[in-house]
Amino acid sequence: MEDMHVMTSAMSTQNDTKISARNVQVYYADNHAIKDVDVDIQDKTVTAFIGPSGCGKSTFLRCINRMNDTIDVARVEGDILLDGEDIYDRKVDPVQLRAKVGMVFQKPNPFPKSIYDNVAYGPKIHGLAKNKADLDDIVEKALRRGAIWDEVKDRLDAPGTGLSGGQQQRLCIARAIATEPEVLLMDEPCSALDPIATAQVEELIDELRRNYSVVIVTHSMQQAARVSQKTAFFHLGYLVEYDDTDTIFNRPQDNRTESYISGKIG
Amino acid sequence: MSTLTLILVVLAIGVVGFVVVRQRAMSSADGDARNLHSLPFYYGSNALIFACVPAFLLMILWLILQPILINNAVSSSIPDSAIAEGGSRGLVMSDVRRVADGLNTAVQEGQMTEEMARDMRVDFTNVRDRLGEVGVALGSNVTETTLNAAQRYRSLDARYGLFMALAVLALAACGVTLAYTQTDRDFRARNTVEATVRVLLIFASTIAILTTVGIIFSLLFETINFFRQYSWTDFFFSTNWSPNFRGNSDLGILPLLWGTLYISFIALLVAVPIGLFAAIYLSEYAGPKLRSVAKPAIEILAGIPTIVYGLFALVTVGPFLRDYFAEPTGFGGSASSVMTAGLVMGIMLIPFVSSLSDDIINAVPQSLRDGSLGLGATQSETIRQVILPAALPGIVGAVLLAASRAIGETMIVVLGAGAAARLSLNPFEAMTTVTVKIVSQLTGDTDFSSPETLVAFALGLTLFVMTLGLNVFALFIVRKYREQYE
Amino acid sequence: MTDATAGAPAGKGSLLEEDKRTKRRNAAEARFKAYGLGAIGIAVTALLLLLGSILLNGLSSFQQAFITIEIPLPADALDQDGDGALDRVTTFTVKPILEQALIARVDELNIRPVDMSDSDIGGIISGEAPATFLDFVRNNEDLIGENAEFNILANGRIDGFLKGRVSMESAARDSNVTQDQLILTNQLIENDVIEQRFNWDFITNPDASENRPEAAGLGVAILGSLYMMIVVLVLALPVGVAASIYLEEFAPKNRFTDIIEVNIANLAAVPSIVYGILGLAIFINFAGLPQSSPLVGGLVLTLMTLPTIIIATRAALKSVPPSIRDAALGVGASKMQTVFHHVLPLAAPGILTGTIIGLAQALGETAPLLLIGMVAFVRDYPELGLEGFTDPATALPVQVYNFTQRADPAFVERASGAIITLLVFLVFMNAVAIFLRRRFERRW
Repeated sequence: MEDMHVMTSAMSTQNDTKISARNVQVYYADNHAIKDVDVDIQDKTVTAFIGPSGCGKSTFLRCINRMNDTIDVARVEGDILLDGEDIYDRKVDPVQLRAKVGMVFQKPNPFPKSIYDNVAYGPKIHGLAKNKADLDDIVEKALRRGAIWDEVKDRLDAPGTGLSGGQQQRLCIARAIATEPEVLLMDEPCSALDPIATAQVEELIDELRRNYSVVIVTHSMQQAARVSQKTAFFHLGYLVEYDDTDTIFNRPQDNRTESYISGKIG
Repeated sequence: MSTLTLILVVLAIGVVGFVVVRQRAMSSADGDARNLHSLPFYYGSNALIFACVPAFLLMILWLILQPILINNAVSSSIPDSAIAEGGSRGLVMSDVRRVADGLNTAVQEGQMTEEMARDMRVDFTNVRDRLGEVGVALGSNVTETTLNAAQRYRSLDARYGLFMALAVLALAACGVTLAYTQTDRDFRARNTVEATVRVLLIFASTIAILTTVGIIFSLLFETINFFRQYSWTDFFFSTNWSPNFRGNSDLGILPLLWGTLYISFIALLVAVPIGLFAAIYLSEYAGPKLRSVAKPAIEILAGIPTIVYGLFALVTVGPFLRDYFAEPTGFGGSASSVMTAGLVMGIMLIPFVSSLSDDIINAVPQSLRDGSLGLGATQSETIRQVILPAALPGIVGAVLLAASRAIGETMIVVLGAGAAARLSLNPFEAMTTVTVKIVSQLTGDTDFSSPETLVAFALGLTLFVMTLGLNVFALFIVRKYREQYE
Repeated sequence: MTDATAGAPAGKGSLLEEDKRTKRRNAAEARFKAYGLGAIGIAVTALLLLLGSILLNGLSSFQQAFITIEIPLPADALDQDGDGALDRVTTFTVKPILEQALIARVDELNIRPVDMSDSDIGGIISGEAPATFLDFVRNNEDLIGENAEFNILANGRIDGFLKGRVSMESAARDSNVTQDQLILTNQLIENDVIEQRFNWDFITNPDASENRPEAAGLGVAILGSLYMMIVVLVLALPVGVAASIYLEEFAPKNRFTDIIEVNIANLAAVPSIVYGILGLAIFINFAGLPQSSPLVGGLVLTLMTLPTIIIATRAALKSVPPSIRDAALGVGASKMQTVFHHVLPLAAPGILTGTIIGLAQALGETAPLLLIGMVAFVRDYPELGLEGFTDPATALPVQVYNFTQRADPAFVERASGAIITLLVFLVFMNAVAIFLRRRFERRW
C-alpha cells in the first residue's frame, strides 16, 4: 500500500494526474461489479470509458464522486485518490467531495425550478456567492461556459423543464460547472439526445477540457473517438485496456478490445 | 305470502327452468353438446335469467310504489275534520301506520284472529291497551278515523301484496316459457347470457352514482324544507346558535363553522408537520429495520376507529390538558375543548398525511435526487430544495384531503370538543362543530316538520359541499401531479 | 499535486478537513434528521399512549366482583300456590331472599360494622342480581327447598372499590355508597365471600340501565355488529366486485365511466356522517325500513364500504398480467369467460383482503349509526335468523358512545372494555387479511 502511494504521487507530479484508482472493487450486495481496477486520470483531459452495457463503466464513474454511497447495498474497496487524497477516507465528507467532482447524468434532469435557480442551486448551497450580483455573475458565466447563454438569457425565469432535450442537458452541464468543480463526470450525457443536440454537447465537452478533467462514459465508440484523448475499455467488471484514444482505436493491445472495437462483442 | 317466500319461489321456478331448458337444448342437439351453439350450461342459465331478472325487477318496483300508493289512498280518505288542531296529515298517517303495524303484529303472534283485527271497533275495545299488550306503544288513544284508516290500510296492503305475488309469479313463468320456446341447437344462448351479465355489471357500477344522487337529494330536499321555515340569511350570517324546541330558535351556522375550522386548523397544525417529517424520514433516511417497525405502527393509527380516539380525548387528553395547562394558566376549566379535539384529531390524521406524502415523495424521480446529490448537496438540502418543491402540489393535495377529513370528522369532536356553540379564540374553551350539531339535532326525539330538526340537513349540505369542494380540488391536484411524473 | 490545489478556487482546501461551511451544513443535516426521527417518535408514542390508556382503563371490565354465598330456596316463598310452577315469582319476591342470605352470612361471620342497617348490607348487592337469580331459579326448579350456591353480582360501587376506583374518601361524598359498606366489603373479601372473577357476562349480557354499570354488557351490540357485517358482506362484496369488473375489464374510456371514476374517488372521501343522513332520509323516512335495525345500519355501511372494496378489487384485477387474458382469448374464450374463469380467480386473494379491510372499517364506524337510531337503549337480543335483521339492535362502537354518555364513572371502564373487544375483532380481521396477502400473494 505504501508503495502504491509513493508511486501515485510520483506519477501525479510527472503527468499531472488528477485521479488515481488502485485495486478498486465494487460489490452490489453479492454481485462483484468492478474487479481490480487501476487507472490514472489526467487533468485537463477528456477520458472516455467505453465497453458493452453492464461492463461496470458507469459504476466505476459513480465511485469517483461517491454517488454509490446513495445505494444501500453498494460497497467499495480499494483506493481512489483525488489530488493524492483518499476520497474514501473516513474523514472525507462526500458533500465536499461532490463539490469538487461534479456529475452530469444520462437523462437530462433539470430541477422543476427556473433556469436561473437551476444553475444558482449549487453555488447557493456551497456558499460560493457573496451577494446577488455575484450570484448573477456566476450563473451567467456557467451558462456561457455551458454554451446555452444565448438561448436562455431572455428567459432565465422560465422553468428549466420547458427546454428541449439538448438544451436541458447543456443546462445540467452548466449547473454542474457553476459549483467550480475540478473534475466533471459525465454518464452517457448524449444517450437521450438527438444528433444535433449531441453535436452541441460534444463541442461543449471539448471546450470544457481547457479548465477541467472530464471523464465521460459513452456507449458510442465514435463519440469516444471524437471527444476524448484517453480511452479506457471495460469488460465484465475489468479494466481491460487504458491508453491514448488513438492507440485504443487503431492499435489495441488486447484482443477483447479489438473485438469490441470491431463490433464482435457488445 | 311474505316477500321472502316469494323470492324463494321465483328462484325455484328459475332452477326448474334451468334444468328443463338445458334438457331441451341437449335433446335438440341429439344429446351431443358439440352440436349446440353454446355450452348447455348457457341454455339453462338463460332460462334462469329470464325467470328471475324481470320478476325481481317488477318486485322491487312494486315494493317501492306500493307504500306510496296505499299511503295516498288512505290519506285521502281521512277527512280534514279528523286532523287535530296543530297536527298535520302526516302525523295522523304515522299513527295510522303504527296501528296497522300493531294489528299485524298482534295477528302474527296469535294474540288476535284476523277477523278480530278486521272488525275491531273503538267503541268496544280499548285499542291502545290491546296493542300495548303485544308490545306496540301508542302515544294517544286511537280515534275511530284512525282505526278505520288503519284497517283500510291493512286490507289494501294485503290485497296489493296478493296482486304482486300473482304478477311476479306469472312473469317468472312467462320468462321460463319464453326461454323454453327459444331454445334450439342454433340459439345463441351464450351471447344472451353474457349480454345480461354485462348489463348487471353496468348496473353495479352505477350504484356509485346512485349513492351520490341519493346523498344530494336527501340533503337538498329537507334543506329546501328548512329554508321555507327559516330564513337563509339568518342561517348563514347569524352568529348565534341556540336551538329551542319550543320554537323561535336562533340557528346561525357561523359559530359552528368557526369551531369546525378552528379544530381542523389545530389538527392540521399537529398532523402536517409530524406526518410530513415522518414520511420524509421513512422514505429518505430510515433503514429497512426501522421502516419495518415504524411504518406499520403509523398505519395502525389509521386503522383505529374514530370512536377510540374520541374516548381517548374524553378520558385521557381532555382531563390532562385541563389539569396541567388550562387551569394553571387560567385559560379555562373545561376538559372538552378545541385543543383536546384538535390534538387528538391531529394524531388521527398523522397516518393519513404521512402515507399520502410517502406516495408523493416516492413519485419524485430518482434522477432529481441524483442531480442534486451529484452537485454536492446534502440529503436534507436535496429534500428541502428539490424534492419538496417538486412534490409540493401533491403535498398540498394531501393536506387538503386531510383538511376535508378533519372537517367531516364526527366522533372525536362529539366526545372531545363540547356542545356549546361559541365564537372565541381561546383554544381551551369548549366549542362545537357542524358535525356535532348534526348528531345532536338528529338523535333523540326528532320532528321532521320543525326547523330545529331540519337544520341538520342544511348543516349536512353545507358540510357536504365544503368537503366535496376540497376533495374534488385535492384529487384534481394530486392527479395532475401524478401525470407529471408518469 | 501542489499545483492542483493551488489552482482550486478559494475555500476548497483538502478533502480531509471539513471546512466551516460543511460543518454547518452537516449540523443542519443532523437537525433535519432529528426532526424526522422526532416525528416518528411522536407518532409511535401517541399510538402507545392511546392503546395504553384504553387498556389501562378497560382491562378491568373483564373482571367483576361477585358475592358467593349459600342461598336457601324456600319452597313457600317461591312457589306460593304450591302447584310446582313458578308463575307468580317476580324479582320482588327473590330480592329479600338474596338480602337475607347475605345478612345471615354477615352475622354468621360476625363482621357487621357497628350500627350498620340491614338495608345497607343489602345495598352491596347489585340491583340486577334478583333478575339473574330468578333466571337461575327458573332453570333449576329441582333445587327448590334446598340450598344453592350462587354468585351474586355486587353493586357497581363495591366493584369499583375492589378495582381502586372507589375509596373511603370518595364514599364520604357519594350518596350511592356508605363507608360502612366498604368496611364490610373489606371483611367479606377477607372471608372469601366477595371476590373478582372473569366476567363473561360483560361480553354476553345486554346493556343495563344508567344505575347498574356492573351489569352492562355487550351482547346485543356484538350481535348487532355481526348482523350488520353480514349485510355488508352479502351486499358490498358482489356489487363491489361486479362494479370493479365492469370498470376495469369492460368499460370503454368515455364520459360516463369517467364520471363513475370521479364519483367513486369522491365517495371514499365523503364524511361518514353524511352517509348517516342519507340512511335516515332514504332508508328510514322514505323506504320506511325499521329504525335501529341492523338491516338499515348494514345498508348504510355497505354504501360506505363500496368505494374501499371497488378500489381494492380494481387494484387486484389490474395486477393480473395481460398475458393471462391474451392466453384465454387466444384459445377462443369469450371476454366474459376470460374474466370469470381466469382473471377473477387469480385476483381473488387481493379482493378478499380488500373486502376484509373494508369490513374492518365498517365495523368501527360510529357516526352514521347514531343518526339511524342505533343509539337507542336496547335490552332485547335481536332474534336469531332473518327476522333479527329488522329487530332493534345496537353496534359495538355505538355502545361505546352510549357508555360515554352516562354519568357514572364506572361506564368509562365499560366503554374502554367495549373498545378492547372491538379492537380484538379488528386485529383478528386484519391478521386474517395479512395472512391471506402473505399466503396467496403472487409476483408476476
